[in-house]
Amino acid sequence: MTEENKWERVSGSTEEAERIYRKSRSFLGDVWFRFRHKPTALLGFILVVILLVFCLAGPAFTPYSYSEQNNKLASIPPLLTVYPGPEEGSYLYITQGLKLIEVDEDGNLIRQLKKKKDDNTNKQTSFTWDDDTLVYLDYSRLPNTVLDADGNRIETGLKKWNNTYRLGTDQLGRDILTRLMYGTRISLMVAFIAALVNMVIGIAYGGISGYLGGRTDTIMMRIVDIISTIPLTLYVILIKMCLDDGLLSIIIALSSVYWVDMARVVRGEMLSLKNQEFVLAARTIGSSTKTILLNHLIPNAMGPILVTVTMLIPSAIFMEAFMSFIGIGIAPPMASLGTMCNDATETLRTNPYQLFLPALVICIIMFAFNFVGDGLRDALDPKLKK
Amino acid sequence: MKEETAVLQVKGLTKHFPVAGHKVVHAVDDVSFSVSRGKTLGLVGESGCGKSSCARTIIRIYEPTAGKILLDGDDISLLNQKQLLPYRKKMQMIFQDPYASLNARMTVHDIVAEPLKAHKICSSRKEENEMVSDMLARVGLNRDHAGRYAHEFSGGQRQRVGIARALILKPELVICDEPISALDVSIQAQVVNMLRNFQEELGLTYLFIAHDLSMVRYVSDDVGVMYLGQLVEKCEADEIYRHPLHPYTAGLLSSIPVPNPRLAQEKEKSGLEGDLPSPIAPPSGCRFHTRCPYASSCCREEAPELKEASSGHFVACHRIHN
Repeated sequence: MTEENKWERVSGSTEEAERIYRKSRSFLGDVWFRFRHKPTALLGFILVVILLVFCLAGPAFTPYSYSEQNNKLASIPPLLTVYPGPEEGSYLYITQGLKLIEVDEDGNLIRQLKKKKDDNTNKQTSFTWDDDTLVYLDYSRLPNTVLDADGNRIETGLKKWNNTYRLGTDQLGRDILTRLMYGTRISLMVAFIAALVNMVIGIAYGGISGYLGGRTDTIMMRIVDIISTIPLTLYVILIKMCLDDGLLSIIIALSSVYWVDMARVVRGEMLSLKNQEFVLAARTIGSSTKTILLNHLIPNAMGPILVTVTMLIPSAIFMEAFMSFIGIGIAPPMASLGTMCNDATETLRTNPYQLFLPALVICIIMFAFNFVGDGLRDALDPKLKK
Repeated sequence: MKEETAVLQVKGLTKHFPVAGHKVVHAVDDVSFSVSRGKTLGLVGESGCGKSSCARTIIRIYEPTAGKILLDGDDISLLNQKQLLPYRKKMQMIFQDPYASLNARMTVHDIVAEPLKAHKICSSRKEENEMVSDMLARVGLNRDHAGRYAHEFSGGQRQRVGIARALILKPELVICDEPISALDVSIQAQVVNMLRNFQEELGLTYLFIAHDLSMVRYVSDDVGVMYLGQLVEKCEADEIYRHPLHPYTAGLLSSIPVPNPRLAQEKEKSGLEGDLPSPIAPPSGCRFHTRCPYASSCCREEAPELKEASSGHFVACHRIHN
C-alpha cells in the first residue's frame, strides 16, 4: 500500500467483515490451554497420573501381597548395614531380633542363618553358616556386630540397598512398597467416591436451595449452618463409631457430611446466575426448569464446583488417613496410608522409615491435588484469559 | 387504537417488590397501554423508572402484583408457567446486554435452537439445522458461525444472535429491552434497521424500551413516557417530540444533545433538576411534583389521571387538564 492510496476504501464483501479468523476453541479447550501453561498445575496433574499408575498398575508388578506376613524378615529397612560373611561376596545383616540374614552382593536377602548356641557370658551367639563353618554375632556392646575369622569385632559395616524389599518391611514382615500401593489405592478410592457423592449431593441441595430461593433457601441453608457448627471431624468419628469397620462405612461417613461446603458453593453460584440475562432469556423462551438447571445454571457453575471438588479430595484423603491413624478406619490387614502410619508409631525410634514413607505419600497426594485444584481455579477464571 | 387489532393490552399493571423491613418498591404502578398489530410502542424514561420491570412483568418473568396483561385478547397475567407455555411462543424478548444474555457454555447453534427445543417444533435434527442456519442468515451471520461460542463474537454479532433466538419462533410480540444501549454507535443503527426490516417482513409488534429519545423517535409509532413506575404521557411519536405536554417529557427532550453547537446555544435550558425520588416511598399526589418547575399545591395532594388532552395524546398532568 503506497502513501497515496492509503485512505482509499478497501473493497470487500460483508461476508468478509463477519468472518472470524481466530481459531475456534471450546470452553474446555480454553481451560486446558490455560491449565497446561501453569507449571505447578501441570506438575500436580503429572503427579496425580503417576500416583494413579502407581496404585492401579503397581500391584501387578510386585511379587508380594499386602497381607502376607513373614516374621523372620520383620522390620528390614530399605538401607541395610551389612558385614562381610565367611565367603567371598556374601554379607551378613543383623536383624533387630539379633538374627543373622545372608545378603548377597546385590543386596538380595538370601536366607536366615540357623542359631547354634547363645553364649550369655560373652554375649555372643553362634550361627551355622554351613556344615562346618560357624559365624559369631557379638552383642556385648553397641553397635552389634559380627566377628571375623580371627574372632575380632568388625567395627564398620557396609551400606547396601535392600534389593528384595525395596522400601523395606514393616514389623510384621510385609513389603512396604506393596502396602503403599494398596494404601494409595484405598486412599484415592475413598477420596474419589466421597468427592463424587459429595458433589452430587452438594449440587442437588445447593442447586435447589439457590434456584428456588426465598423461604426454601432460608430453611435449607439454616440446616446447613446447623450441620456445620459442629466440627465435621466429630461427625465423621461419630458416624464411623455406629458403623462397622471397612471401606464402605468410611465412604458413608465422609460422604454424609462433607457436602455442606459444596452445597454452599453451588447455592452461591445459583443465586448469582439465576438472575443473569441468559437465564431470564431461557425462561422467556419457555425452557423447562430441568433445561435451565442442566443446560444453563450447572454448566456455568462448573468452575467453582470443580475447584471445590479438587480441594475436597485432599481433605477426604487426609480425613481417611486421620481416621485410620486413630484406629477407626480401614480394618486390618487391608493397608491404608493412615493405618501404616499408625502401625509405625510403635517402633518410630528404631524404624523411622516405616512412618516416613506413608507420610511422604500422603504429602505427595496432598500437594498434587492442591496444585491441580489451584491450577483449575485459575484456568476456569475467564478473567485471566490469555 | 382499536381494541380488536391490539396484540398487547396492558390494564392497570402493577408490580411491587417487597424489600427488607416490610417496605415495598413501587416499580410499576397502574400502567395501562396497548400496542396494535405491526406497530411499535416506545417506552422511555430515566433509569430506574420501571421500564424494564414493566417489560419483565409483561413477559411474566416477574409475577404481576395487580392488573391484566392481554395477549391477543387472552389474559395471561394469572396463568402459571405451564399454562403460559403456548403464549411464550407468541412473545419473545431481546435483552439489553449481549454479553450477559448469551450462555457462554453454549454454541450459537444451541442458543438459537433452544426455543425450537423448548416448544418441540422440529421433528428431526436436519430440520432444526436448517431452521437455525436460515435464521442466522437472516440476521447476517453465516453457517460457520453456528458452531462457535458466544465469546468469540463482537457485541453487534452477539446481539444479532440474541435477535435470531427471539425471532426463530416467529412471535407476534417482541419486547426489546434496550436492545442497543450496550452497543457502540456504529452498530446501533445496523441493529435497529435490522429490527425494522424484520417488523415489515414478519409483521412484528414491538414494545421498544430505551432511554435514547432520538432513537425511539426513529423506531416507534407511539411513545409512552414513564416516570417512577407510572405512565405520564402517551401519544404518537412525532407529536410527542413536537408538542410535549408533560413537563417531565419536555425536560427529557431538552436533554437530547443537539449536533449543531450554534443551535444548541439557542436552545432553551429547561433540563431536569434533582434526582429520581425513592420508589420505596414515592411522593404524594403527582409523583413528579418534587422536580416539576410548575408544581402547585394541587399537584402535591392529588394524583393526576392519564387523560386525553388532544386527539390521541394522553397526559397525566393537572396543569394541562385544568
